[in-house]
Amino acid sequence: MKSFRLLNPTTLDEAIALCADPKGGVTKLLAGGQDLLTEMKEHLAGPDRLVNLKSIPGLDAIEAGAVGLRIGALATLAKIERDAGVRANWTALSQAALSVASPQIRSCATIGGNLCQRPRCWYYRMEEAHCLKKGGTECFAYGGLNKYNAILGGGPSYIVHPSDLAPALVALDAEVTLRSAKGERKLPLEKFYVLPENGGVEKETVLADGEIVTAITAPAPVAGMRSTYSKFKERDSFDFALSAVAASIVIAGGKVTRARLCLGGVAPVPWRVPAAEALLVGRVLDAQAAREAAEAALKGAEPLAQNGFKVPLTKTLVERALLSLAG
Amino acid sequence: MSRQDAPKKKKIKVPKVVNGIESEVEIEVDDVPGGAWPDRASLRLLNHDLPRVDGPEKSSGRARYTHDVRAPGMVYARLLVSPLPHARVKKLDLDAARKVPGVVIAIALQEEPKWLGEPIAAVAAESVEAAEDGLRALAPQLEAMPWAVDHAGATRPDAPRVGKDGNLGKPETNGDEAKARAALKASAASITATYTVPIQHHSCLETHGVVVDYRGGDEATVYCSTQATTGFAEEAAKPLDLQASKIHGLNEHMGGGFGGKFGLGLEGQVACRLSKELKRPVHLMLTRRDEFLMGGNRSGSVQTIELGGSASGDLLGMVATSFKHGGLGRGSLAGQPYIYAVGDTYRAVRSVLMNLDSSRAMRAPGHPQASFAMESALDELAYALGVDLLEIRKRNVKNPEAWRNEAWKRQLDRAAQEIGWAAHPHKTKPGPATGTECIGIGFALGNWGGGGSKGCEVEVKIERDGSVSALCGTQDLGTGTRTYMAAITAEELGLPLAGVTARIGSSRLGNSVGSGGSVTTASLAPAVKDAASNARALMADHLSRVMNLPAAGFRFMPEGIVNDQAKSPTVMTWAKACATLPVEGLRANGVWVDSLQATGAPCVQAARVAVDPGTGRVRVLHMVCVQAVGLPLNRLALKSQIQGAMIQALGYATGEGRVIDPVLGLQMNANFEEYKLPHALEIPRMTTIIDDEDKRQAVVGVGEPPAIPGAGAIANAVANACGARVRELPITPDKVLMALGKVV
Repeated sequence: MKSFRLLNPTTLDEAIALCADPKGGVTKLLAGGQDLLTEMKEHLAGPDRLVNLKSIPGLDAIEAGAVGLRIGALATLAKIERDAGVRANWTALSQAALSVASPQIRSCATIGGNLCQRPRCWYYRMEEAHCLKKGGTECFAYGGLNKYNAILGGGPSYIVHPSDLAPALVALDAEVTLRSAKGERKLPLEKFYVLPENGGVEKETVLADGEIVTAITAPAPVAGMRSTYSKFKERDSFDFALSAVAASIVIAGGKVTRARLCLGGVAPVPWRVPAAEALLVGRVLDAQAAREAAEAALKGAEPLAQNGFKVPLTKTLVERALLSLAG
Repeated sequence: MSRQDAPKKKKIKVPKVVNGIESEVEIEVDDVPGGAWPDRASLRLLNHDLPRVDGPEKSSGRARYTHDVRAPGMVYARLLVSPLPHARVKKLDLDAARKVPGVVIAIALQEEPKWLGEPIAAVAAESVEAAEDGLRALAPQLEAMPWAVDHAGATRPDAPRVGKDGNLGKPETNGDEAKARAALKASAASITATYTVPIQHHSCLETHGVVVDYRGGDEATVYCSTQATTGFAEEAAKPLDLQASKIHGLNEHMGGGFGGKFGLGLEGQVACRLSKELKRPVHLMLTRRDEFLMGGNRSGSVQTIELGGSASGDLLGMVATSFKHGGLGRGSLAGQPYIYAVGDTYRAVRSVLMNLDSSRAMRAPGHPQASFAMESALDELAYALGVDLLEIRKRNVKNPEAWRNEAWKRQLDRAAQEIGWAAHPHKTKPGPATGTECIGIGFALGNWGGGGSKGCEVEVKIERDGSVSALCGTQDLGTGTRTYMAAITAEELGLPLAGVTARIGSSRLGNSVGSGGSVTTASLAPAVKDAASNARALMADHLSRVMNLPAAGFRFMPEGIVNDQAKSPTVMTWAKACATLPVEGLRANGVWVDSLQATGAPCVQAARVAVDPGTGRVRVLHMVCVQAVGLPLNRLALKSQIQGAMIQALGYATGEGRVIDPVLGLQMNANFEEYKLPHALEIPRMTTIIDDEDKRQAVVGVGEPPAIPGAGAIANAVANACGARVRELPITPDKVLMALGKVV
């Protein structure tokens, strides 16, 4: 690992100032460190300075109340998963947090870091493979070992978005709050991520240099809303998603009045499927509706040589997730 | 011979010290029954559950492994391994590495690495971090040379030549092909299928490595994580340019070996060279990635099996055409039809050379590969014939040693009972792929030798303060060596387990066999028994002189020592008896005794799985192993060992396998994230049954056999559940969905 300076600001403004310092060299934000330190050890990142956000008090609060949900970016996944308010009203998020890695990692990893983590594509993760994402000319996954790669939204890079929390939060209409020297902005989490074809090759988000994710917010659930996150791992104990689905549904008068469906592990970004959502609205959520929604969700999937299995797998997950919300 | 017969005399050698000079003298003692184990019913310690004596030390972190060794002035070394399977090193900046603060030495090792992970250079520094910075400063420029790292790449017409004589080894054949084909033709049904197993890694928690402590002069100490404590010091003599007897080899504890840790290794050679040059202790443990690339592996294989049988399920003909993937080595594969007997058989096996590290021995080398293919083929044929899966196995075990067949048959019945076969609906054809949880059952058989050999020299010492120790320069591969050494000695002397201390892991102790092929226990335990028996005889001899009573009358019991031939027998405590010893105490040696051990460790395993046809998810719910072990020394340790083997098979079946990108030549999963070992949630209910119908009064090693059948049993259970026949390990959801025809 390259040597670096560890800076411990005590206020957000101080952190922002440190990030904006033009003489600081390459500066990265450190939260739980679960991804960044791995990247540094693997020589995928070599910052000159780390700005430690953990030294700023108050960034890890969880407020789950009648007005909605607000989670500070430094809240750990363990804290989120255990929060009774989150579990009751934003169930998909609670389930997503619980599905991440291992208890040890969840006790360190933060929601901000989870949303900003880099992809797991094994070509990207190996220093020796000078792939498209690392400034090379080729996405090795495209013609290579692509079992774990994208079936939707891929090209020119075929990574899959690794976060479990992101699809759940998108399905819960969450917004992300960003702060920088220029001020604060708030945008739907869905808009936070960029497809490779829209410029998201070397980075995956719209986060600007020196900008800090400070909070995640989600509206209070309307009456009749229920949500779920279903993650399919190759190894239950500890794994990223082979495929995942987050769904939130509002049922009123026996019919679906609003639906949000977002897929994980199959596309370079959390993959919202509006066609499937539209298909559900106004219908009784029964086996037929769930099956049609699953078909619609995977429409347009373009598997690579080794990941065709993700299509039937994801259809099953969508169908079952929806039916689990029907009762 | 009845053990009640009056004891005869026998001559044994004992050490004698005169004027400080030690020599051996022969003395005559009563021939106590050292050549046979006591009846099982009379055993106090052996054949019971004994928590291992070094358990607290290991679980609390106090046990010192090679990795933990720290010596004054020690430096840390790291290897630069080739990231390409074949290359020429055009530039290596040794000077830049030497300039990195803390780096004390940087050396080049190889100009044309011919396998992925071959060490190119080494750096040693005052800290691990400085050594790693030194490695990066080497900034090697490599010119890629043509390579082959997979079957297709190594066997295509224009494949680069990996070996001097091409990449395909000469076929090793066995049997008459024409006859075998005729038998296949005459069969009521036959199947043809190709089974593929990937390269599996040993995945020892402690990586390979050594600490070489040479600080000038003519002596050195070498710590090594090794399966053969006796011998590696001798190997270090050459690179250290010292007399072998001046090198003290130490291996107090080791974190797994599984067959991959024999010899000093490349890393050991390098560490010796660095230490010799620096005259400083050198710590060189492989990183996890290096361990994957250069620490050895279980060879892969591709096996095409044609198998035919009669309507009633007798196997009539088999043709097996196989390829072994052992990197630059020849790999290993047990001969088909493996455990079963088939009327007419023909097999041809060839190795395929690739630019990868040579495979090494790994827990039953060549057997799990052969077992997975044969057990899968057997079930495929049983379904084609409509024969019960249990029945077809019983019909076709025809080992020349009849007792083995009897063992397999009773073990099959027991495994079937434990796994719930009687109530299972899919006995002659797979279940339908419907619903979310299809339940399947699979069976497979294992076989192994497990006998021992000469080579262990054990000493038992009794001190005047009553303490007793059993010593041998052996190692504990994880099987609980210390515990059974102490237990055997304590059993013999009538002492509690805590009354004996076992000392191992030093080349200065008596010689030991290496721990491979499940030979350790059957080689070592008889020698311990012999030494303990001799110690008992010497003690009796001593007491007879002190007490003026016949030596034959002494009995050693937990309450103390009593002489039945005394006029009024009284119990003398062990402490009191020892207090009568001369100041140097008492020492007895022991060697291997053939009659105390035996060969043959048949086993049966069964697996119950749940397959979700909608997702391809396989959950192994229950695994059963019924294992013949001869006389169980420590039932708890045996069960642990069997469970460990079953978990290794579970990993082989469901998650493990080296993945290499053939174009880039990189191993994609040289880490524990992508190399998917089973973790806590993957471990099924495990039923480990010691086959107590095996009444042999002899010790048998069972390190390997329980690692053999698990993968075949699981693969068969998956197919039995829902018809998803996956012929390539590991059985992951993508392959299950593919086998079910769900992937378009």
